Order: sequence, then C-alpha cells, then structure tokens
Amino acid sequence: MKKTHILGIVIIAIAIAAILSTLADSSTYASFSVAEAEPSKTFHVVGKLNKEKPQEYNPHVDADLFSFFLVDNEGKEKQVQLHKAKPQDFEKSEQIVVIGKMNEGNFVASDILMKCPSKYNNSSEDMKAVTSQR
Amino acid sequence: MDIQYIGEQLLWGKIGNLLVFTAFTAALLSAISYFFSLRTDDKSWRKLARQAFAIHTISITGIFALLFYLILNHRFEYVYVWEHSNTIMPLKYILSCFWEGQEGSFLLWMFWHCALGWVIIATAGEWENGVMFVISLVQIFLASMILGVVILGYKMGNNPFVLLRDHPDFANLPFIKMPDYLSKIKDGRGLNPLLQNYWMTIHPPTLFLGFASTVIPFAFAIAGLMRKKFTEWIKPAMPWTFFGVMILGTGILMGAAWAYESLSFGGFWAWDPVENASLVPWMTMVGLAHVMLIFKHRKRSILSNFILAIVTFFFILYSTFLTRSGILGNSSVHAFTDLGMSGHLIIYMFFFVALSAYLLIKNYKALKETHEEEHLSSREFWMFIGMLVLVIGCLQITFTTSLPVFNKLFSLNLAAPVDAIDHYNKWQVPVAIFICLLIGVGQYFKYKKTEWKEFRKKITLSLMLSLLVTGLSAFYLGEYRVHYYILFFASTFAVIANASYIFTVLKGKLGNSGASIAHIGIGLILMGALISNSKKEVISRNLKNVDLGKDMPNKENIMIEQKVDTLPMGNYYVTYSKRETQGVNVLFNIEYFQLNPQTGVKEKQFELKPFVQLNDRMGNVAEPATKHFLTKDIYTHITYAEIEKPQSRHTEDEHEEEYQPAKNQMLAIGDTFITSNSFVILRSLKKDLDRNDFQLNDSDLIVGADLMIQDINKKIYESLPVFVIKNFSIYTKSTSVDELGLKFEFSKIDPATGKIELSVSEKKSNKADFIVMKAIIFPGINILWIGCLLMIIGSVVAIRKRVIQNMNSGNSTEK
Repeated sequence: MKKTHILGIVIIAIAIAAILSTLADSSTYASFSVAEAEPSKTFHVVGKLNKEKPQEYNPHVDADLFSFFLVDNEGKEKQVQLHKAKPQDFEKSEQIVVIGKMNEGNFVASDILMKCPSKYNNSSEDMKAVTSQR
Repeated sequence: MDIQYIGEQLLWGKIGNLLVFTAFTAALLSAISYFFSLRTDDKSWRKLARQAFAIHTISITGIFALLFYLILNHRFEYVYVWEHSNTIMPLKYILSCFWEGQEGSFLLWMFWHCALGWVIIATAGEWENGVMFVISLVQIFLASMILGVVILGYKMGNNPFVLLRDHPDFANLPFIKMPDYLSKIKDGRGLNPLLQNYWMTIHPPTLFLGFASTVIPFAFAIAGLMRKKFTEWIKPAMPWTFFGVMILGTGILMGAAWAYESLSFGGFWAWDPVENASLVPWMTMVGLAHVMLIFKHRKRSILSNFILAIVTFFFILYSTFLTRSGILGNSSVHAFTDLGMSGHLIIYMFFFVALSAYLLIKNYKALKETHEEEHLSSREFWMFIGMLVLVIGCLQITFTTSLPVFNKLFSLNLAAPVDAIDHYNKWQVPVAIFICLLIGVGQYFKYKKTEWKEFRKKITLSLMLSLLVTGLSAFYLGEYRVHYYILFFASTFAVIANASYIFTVLKGKLGNSGASIAHIGIGLILMGALISNSKKEVISRNLKNVDLGKDMPNKENIMIEQKVDTLPMGNYYVTYSKRETQGVNVLFNIEYFQLNPQTGVKEKQFELKPFVQLNDRMGNVAEPATKHFLTKDIYTHITYAEIEKPQSRHTEDEHEEEYQPAKNQMLAIGDTFITSNSFVILRSLKKDLDRNDFQLNDSDLIVGADLMIQDINKKIYESLPVFVIKNFSIYTKSTSVDELGLKFEFSKIDPATGKIELSVSEKKSNKADFIVMKAIIFPGINILWIGCLLMIIGSVVAIRKRVIQNMNSGNSTEK
C-alpha cells in the first residue's frame, strides 16, 4: 500500500471523528417540556420574555444571579435563573435563547443570547415613529 | 398619483443607478471579450476587454464616491444613507457606514477586485486573458448583488440608491403621501455602536482585500486548466498566494484586536461562526502556499495545487453565504442582515464550483502524476503532511460552523456546542501542536532527501533548549493540562528552531528568512494564545455565591458601590469613584490601588474608564477598558449599571425629595443597625422629657429613643425620635438627620420584651450608585501581538523574495 493511501484512510477516519464529536458535543434547540423530561442534559430553549411577571436582579445580594419568566415557543412558562449579570437592555429583547438545564421546576441557565428587534430590520417601526412626530 | 416631493435630490440617485448598470454590463462585456481574446488570441478582443474593465472600474469608483457624497451630505431620501448614518456621527466613522450594509461591503470587495485586476493587467503578460476572464466573471456576480432589478418576479440584489419612499418596507406608511416628508426626518438611524471603533475603520477594508486576493490564485488555476498549461500557472500565482496569506491573516488579526478591545466576551477569539468563516480560507491558502513551494522545487503535487486554489476561493464564497444569507441567525454576533439573497448566493457558489469541477474532471487524465513516492526525510513530504493537518483542522471548524446549514438542509434542531471554545480546542490544540512541530523541523529537511545524521545534529540543540524552557516554565505555569504543556513545548520549539535556522543556516541573511520569521510569528501567536487563555484569571471573584460547579462559572461579576466599596481583586484593591457623561458615552472611573507593604497605605496605580454607549435604537452597548502592561493586561468591563442614576433625580428643593419606603427595625437598648451610609446605635430610652411640649397628663406616656449615628467618616450625629401615648392614642414625633438623608420614627414599644420598633427611611439619593463589573488578567498577551507582527513582516519578506525571483525570470537557483 502506498503512503498516499494510508494518508487518505487516516484523513477519512479523522473527518468521521470530527463529525461524530460535533454531533456529540452539539446541544439541541428544545422546549421546556423536553428539557424537563431530561433534566441531566443541557438544552437551548428559545422563547419570549414575560414582561408582566417580575424580573429579579439584586446585585447587592448576588451580582451573578438574575431571574425572569420565559415563555417558550410552545407557550409553556418557566422561571429562568441566569447565573450571570443582568444583560444590558434586557427588556428590549424580542427573542431570547437560554442555555442550561431544568432543575426543580426552574430553568438554570449558564448563558443567554438575545435578539433585539431594534438592531436590524425594523425600519418600518422607526419610520412610523418618525412620521408620527408632527 | 403624482406627488411633488420637496427637497429631494434625485439626480444623484439617477447617476448612481446608471453607474450600477454600467458596472454590471461592463463586467459582462469584459468577461466575454476576455473569453474570446483567450480563444482567438486576437489583440482587438483584448483591447475591448481592457476598455470594458476600465469602464467597470470607473463605475465602481464612481458609485463609491457618490455614496460617500450622499452620506456626507445626509441625503436621507436614500435608504442606505438613512439606515447607516446620522448627523451626529464623527467624520472618521463615515467610511464605516460603507461596510455596515451589505451593498457597501460588496462595493468594497468589488473595488479591491478592480484594483488587483489592474495589477494583473500590468504584470501578468500571457496570463492576462485567462485570469481577467475569471475575475470579470466574479465581478458579474458581485455587481448583480447591487443591481436591484426584478427579473421574472425575483429581485436580484439590493441597489444602494433606492429611495426611502420606494423601499418596500415602507410601502403603506402615511409619510409616502406627504410631500414634505423629508423635512420631518430629523436624522438617520446611525451606525451600530459596536462598529464605532477605530479598528472597525481598518479591519473591514483589510479583510476584504484579503478576500479579494484569494480570487487571483483561483483565477490562475482556472486559466491554467482552460489553456491546458497545467503547471505554468503556479509560478506567477505564487507571490499572490503569499500576499493573500499576509493580507487575509492581517485582516483576521485586526478583527481579533477589535474583539479584544471592544467586545464584551473578554478575549480575542471566540470561535464565532463569522471568525471561523474567514479563518478557514486563510488556513487552506497557507496550505496552497506550501504545495506551491513543493511544486516549485520538486515539480509535483500539481493536483493539490489546483484543489487548494479552488477550495480557498470556494470557502470565501461559502463564508459570504454563511454571513450574508441570514442562515446563522442567532448563532453569531456579527452576521449581516438577511436581505433575501440566499438563493442568489447559492447560485453564485454553485456556478464556480461547477465550473471548477467540470474543468478538473475534463483534464483529470493530464493532471495525474506518476512518479516515485516522496522520501520520508524529504521536506516536501512533511510540508504535504502539514497541509493535510491544516485541512483536517478546516474540516472540523467548517463542520461545526455549518450546523445551522445542516439544520436547514435536513430539518434538524442542532444547536452549537454549549462550551464552544472547549469543543474547538479539543480539536484545534492537537492541530496546533502538529503544526508547531512541523514548523520547527520543516526547514531542516532538505527537498528530496535529508541525511538523518545531519538533521539530528542540527535539530538537537533547539530541541534541548525548548525542553529546558518548557521545564523552567513549569514554575510559572504550575499545574496545567498535559496537552497544554505539549503545545507550550511545541510552540517554543517552533520559535527556537526557526530562530536558530536564521542564524546557523541562513547566516542571518534576513532577505532570505521570510519563512523563518513568519514561522516564529505563528509559534509566538499560538504560545501567546495558549498562555493568555489558559492562565487568564478572573479577579472579580464574586464570593457571595453558591458553587454550581465547573460548568456554570457564576463567580465572575462583582458589585461595587460608588465611593463606598474598596474590593480586593487579585493583587489590587478596586474602587468605583465616579461616573461622567461625555456625549453618548457614560464613563465609569474604576481606580486600581495596590498595598504598599512598607507604609501599609493603599497607593493608586492606575484608573480605567470602561463605558456604556447609549443608543436608544440599538440598545446600550458596554465597551471594556484595558490597562496594558508588558507582561499582562487588565481587562475591565461593566456588566451592569443603572443608567438612570439616582443622583439625577435631585430636585431643586431638597425637602421635596421623596424618601424610599421605610424599613422597620426591632431594637433593644445597645443594638446597632446599618443604613446605606451609617451605623445607628440605640443608646438608651429617655423618659424624662419635657411633658409640657405635648400637654400630657400624668397618665400619659412619653419615651424618646436616644440614637447615636456614626457616618463612614466617623462623624457622630444624635437624634431623638419620640413616642407618645396620650389619652390612649399613639402619637409619634419623627426626627431627621438632613446631612445623612435619614428619617427616624419611633413607632412601637413591645412591653413584653422592652424592645422598640424604629421605622427608618432614607432619601432616594442615599441609594449609592453602583456598578457590576468583571475584571480579567490576561498574561502574556503581548507575545501574541508580537507574533502577529512577525508573521506579517515575515510574509512581506517572503513576497519580496518571490517577486524579485520572478522578475529575474526563472533563473532562480534556490538551494
């Protein structure tokens, strides 16, 4: 067998390993009910902030704990305990992704991603605002 | 309905549209003419082609100038101007408006293609026809991205000269019917605050020049296939490949510098999909540069040359697709907006893949090489292995980055790994180790065959030295993962072996040591990345917290009250002294002190001013501040601050000021409690008060709470709130200490325990201003930046050498 053939086989083997490891490491987008069924696993949950319910951030007590209520895309609501400082302009977020797991009825999140509507693509909202200023 | 709009300047838009169409048509004409010029070798075709390309270049430059003029003059009747600029923006950021939007960044990219095209026309000689044919083809596609015409119901591209009132998003809004709508638009939407940074004025142009430079080796490869000159293209394409490696590398590193200076994630590299999308083509281009060297010296690896040139360009297209189709969605901080171009981009990508694949398959037989295998001790063998290691690294990065694409293709629900950095490092640390070892030994191998004995002799010293350095480093690095120690050793070896190569083999001739200098740079970059990442120390330890284990680092943010707190962080004591507003920025003064062991006094070392940029539309953005030392950086970032600060609520009349809700304290004599600015002690209960003040009878009761109040400067105040029972009714007389903004009311007595209830109110302004911050020490980050510089310098030296060699037309006799 030639060296090139050996190399080819090695590369294919490593490529397969890369694919498998990515699949093994990757998380899944899920709803709260799925996360509840598998409390040991970490999930990405997409949802919207419930602005009616209280948000708690009390840095005097703990600067790394922020809790709020999130309604997932299936309409299920859970309290999220985010172990980070309260993000800037949290209230403005349109869509939220929290990364973590379920624990005793609460979702314990290690990270958060927010999509702010104002950042992009709401030109028409802005224009409405402009033209209503008589 | 014809409305006469007031104040619009429509002429510029008309000229602009004309230029856009001219640019597109001229690119088309140029491609066709170059194609026939290539086929017939007729000089008149080439003349036509050059003229068309000249018109194309003038049009692109004209569009650029026109857009610049419109932004400078705030012509908000044009959507692009309104979306990306505003009137308060400083001049230096006006250029940044170009690359915030998709249309502008396509323009920039096209502009670089034009510039590089003219260098090709001037220098490429017989290759001009083929190379310029491919470049013109690419320009047709890029120009179609800014055409903005509707063909068969499909809107092709986005025109930068669309009027606000013609934009489909605003189709039914009332302002369209107002003739004077322009006077109502006070300002544009302005630039994304993240882009208002000096790195952002130079990073995108450099990165796009890097992107543009990848088209040239690709164009040479395609031209080589079309002209059936399967090997001759490599030599003229080589300096371009080195140029691309340098520029794209510089662009990526500038992006890293931007992320380090002004993004909040704390670091220079986060394996963000957009970062990956530009890193991957750089890695394949480095691979290409090395197989080109193999070809130059050994006339082999021709197929690899073709494949890598094509793959590099493909990855540029793929990265364009990833960042501009909106497919990354939530997974990246800096992907562009979806402008409905994904179909267009896919066609673009597949056209060039199909073209390359067709030409490769057609000529496959001629490309097949038959010669004896490379010797294990030959330089070409190990260079080839190095290229393969890079490709493996690319495969892994591309696969993980493409998860959103797989989700779309196979309707899956996969999300990025929770600990993305860990996931990538698992793969890329071994890749980096292999690369460093190969960089170290590479040049000690000779082409064809090396005497092992001689090789060992030359390499031993570097090897021993690196082992020694690694051994000594253990004192500093301490407990450390094994593979980090291996990477430390490998990168040290890469640096030492290449440095010794310059002195022992090249005898210090710097003109020839481009490769070695660049390799030292790579070694230092990896070493700096390793040290600063693995030994970074979050010194803002939040100790008020429950331990959630390694997976949930929840101890990184700390709260500081203004003027009150002095918190120990690492070797420092940190205070928050004041905040000030400068324009749209709110700056926070963070002062770092160090204890002088002789005097026991905390001496101020430096202060940092991280800030929050206020932006109503896009949300406030916090920008860190970093103190740079030779051996470490101290990064300080505001993670939370109440922007409407309590002090601003001061009213003219102090007495009008509202108090916060009262807090009740149950106290026995001698008890102490704390307010936000003082200690309060209940010294005694006084009963011998003047009863006449309240016209009390003997059966009535009067008690005063004798309070001693001590503020943070140890100043003492006294206060005596009074509790009265008169005719079985309760009265109280509250007292206040105005200096401290405190109000006390003696509200109850518990006869059973003798305790009293004191209700304490504080003025709202008493609530101390506070911030939540994060501080990280990055050691050794300067090793990384020095490495970057060396890599760039080394590449420049190497390019210079190649260009000189090519000018001396072929009689290069390198050892």
